[in-house]
Amino acid sequence: MATLTRHDRIARMKSSVMYALCSVATLFLLSTLVLVVGYLVFLGFSALWPWKALVSFFTTVPTAIPEDPGGMKHAFIGTLMLLAMASAVGVPLGMLAGVFLAEYSVDSKLAAPVRFVADVLAGVPSIVVGILGYELIVVPMGQFSGIAGSLALAFIMIPIVARTTEEMLRLVPGSYREASIALGASKARTILSVVIPSATGSVVTGIMLAIARVAGETAPLLFTAGMSRFLTTDPTQPFPALTTQIYRFVTGPFPAERQLAYAGIVVLIVLIFFINLAIRFATRGSKPVN
Amino acid sequence: MSAPPTNPPGPSDAQPFVLQSGKKGGAWADPVLKWLTAGAAVLILLMLAGLVGVLVSAALPSIKQFGLEFLVASEWRPNELERSVRDAAGKIVRDEDGNNVTEIIPPVFGALPVIYGTAVSSMIALALAVPLSFGGALFLVRIAPKRLVAPVSFLVEFLAAIPSIAYGIFGLFVLAPWLASAQPVAADWLKDVPGLSWMFFQTLADGRVVPIPAAGRNMLCGGLILAIMIVPIITAISRDVLANVPRAQVEGTMALGATWWQSCVEMLKYGRSALFGAVMLGLARAAGETMAVAMIIGNANQIDFSPFAPAQTMASLLASEFGEAQGIHRGALVEVALILLVMSLAFNVVARYLVVGKDSRSAMAH
Repeated sequence: MATLTRHDRIARMKSSVMYALCSVATLFLLSTLVLVVGYLVFLGFSALWPWKALVSFFTTVPTAIPEDPGGMKHAFIGTLMLLAMASAVGVPLGMLAGVFLAEYSVDSKLAAPVRFVADVLAGVPSIVVGILGYELIVVPMGQFSGIAGSLALAFIMIPIVARTTEEMLRLVPGSYREASIALGASKARTILSVVIPSATGSVVTGIMLAIARVAGETAPLLFTAGMSRFLTTDPTQPFPALTTQIYRFVTGPFPAERQLAYAGIVVLIVLIFFINLAIRFATRGSKPVN
Repeated sequence: MSAPPTNPPGPSDAQPFVLQSGKKGGAWADPVLKWLTAGAAVLILLMLAGLVGVLVSAALPSIKQFGLEFLVASEWRPNELERSVRDAAGKIVRDEDGNNVTEIIPPVFGALPVIYGTAVSSMIALALAVPLSFGGALFLVRIAPKRLVAPVSFLVEFLAAIPSIAYGIFGLFVLAPWLASAQPVAADWLKDVPGLSWMFFQTLADGRVVPIPAAGRNMLCGGLILAIMIVPIITAISRDVLANVPRAQVEGTMALGATWWQSCVEMLKYGRSALFGAVMLGLARAAGETMAVAMIIGNANQIDFSPFAPAQTMASLLASEFGEAQGIHRGALVEVALILLVMSLAFNVVARYLVVGKDSRSAMAH
């Protein structure tokens, strides 16, 4: 082995130091993130303890009595309803646009700008979407409403669903389409009964991803859905959601309501965690190779 | 799923084959689906156009009234101010009855404090998050044992999905109190270091210099939380970028006798434009982050160079004031939203050109 020059020795030392630093950086990152999540989960679960608190969280609405604040049934149901309404609007539109990008884009001048705009829209700060919803829907309607809130969420979902649908449909081998066309199926028939069914799992993943993304949104709801302390199913009225209610409770003065907020945040995190886990399972084994 | 072997074209003596476009009754579906999907695609274009159009029209009163001055004016005062009129000599003017003559100064709006707040808090976040994220990405690609990669990647992706408000709660109840208690200690240690004392003191309107109150909710707190929030996204994307560096590139440097770190540097250089794109996506997220920042940055529309002074970002200003804004105040806020939109569009455009949308999922996790 050749003798090491001073230069080499410094380079080796530097390399060892950087190796250690990369490991330390990872450790530091993970411990910070574990600290953050661990703290929230600990707070949340201690607020949901004992069993009675957990039950009343899901079965009662806020009482506005500082000592006995009730639960967040209204917000939990509100979030689920907002997500359902947003998906009802956003998923079909996003999927249609994704189908266009994947299947009809070959000879279309529309595809490149749409793809680009969809990517750019996915990065628009969500508070800006909330303000759009306020000016476009809340002002004409004269009040906050579940409709405005769910449309704001749908606005965020559409570009995400469109782009993931496109990506997933592109992974379906071209031979499937050729085989279908060769059997005499029309293009629409090919898309609807061959291409989409063979990509269902991964398209669902994209949809779940979009839902997970908007489930934790507060900013676009503040000025569209507004806030409500009541259980409501009328989407023309101000609509409760977990995030906005948590925000109100956390920034409010009552310790008991803060406890509720902690419980709410852990419920929200668990909800998103399960959506992520579901995505993981849906894509397991069939993970497409880009 | 490998493609079935394609048969060579049939012999020419086969039955003549008539191409039918669709079966009975299916012919109408073709144009319908085509136009439906094209319509949805056009809708995406309209969404962006509508977003810009609506914001511009709602911001018009403010744009007309303040013009370009809006971008550089440093006062943000939503309320009218009533004050005594003074004459040229500085004496208070009184009317015949001896009462002070007052004038009403209309509200003024300048976006410079929030532009400053956004820029500085994002820079603090990037300065902390980028080295850590790149280190983490290198660890995942070059050091971590294979079986660690999947769980760590899952954790990183899951963290990117944790709601902003959760980070806000952590900032509000853990980080801010900790900073508040650490600030006097840091001030004791550092105030005598030349060039650092400005961090801990502020000059009041009457000229007195006093220590900045240790509130905890300040620019530094906002920057730290933003750093924690953007680390997952930068790590996830740069891990993908580094994993896609061709093996030959790494092996080549190693064969030439490069140390571990030297070959890492080559990897980073090889992926530099995509890595820069990852940083831009992190920046876009930091700049647009709303709820967490609104809860912990102190909500003061001022320019103070100390990291311990409360501040405000564009997004947090919107979250904290838009709810009760009326008239020109609302117009000014919408104009801030417009600036925020244009800025984040610019970041995203640059980022996406650089990352080239290879892994759209991690790019979308934003």
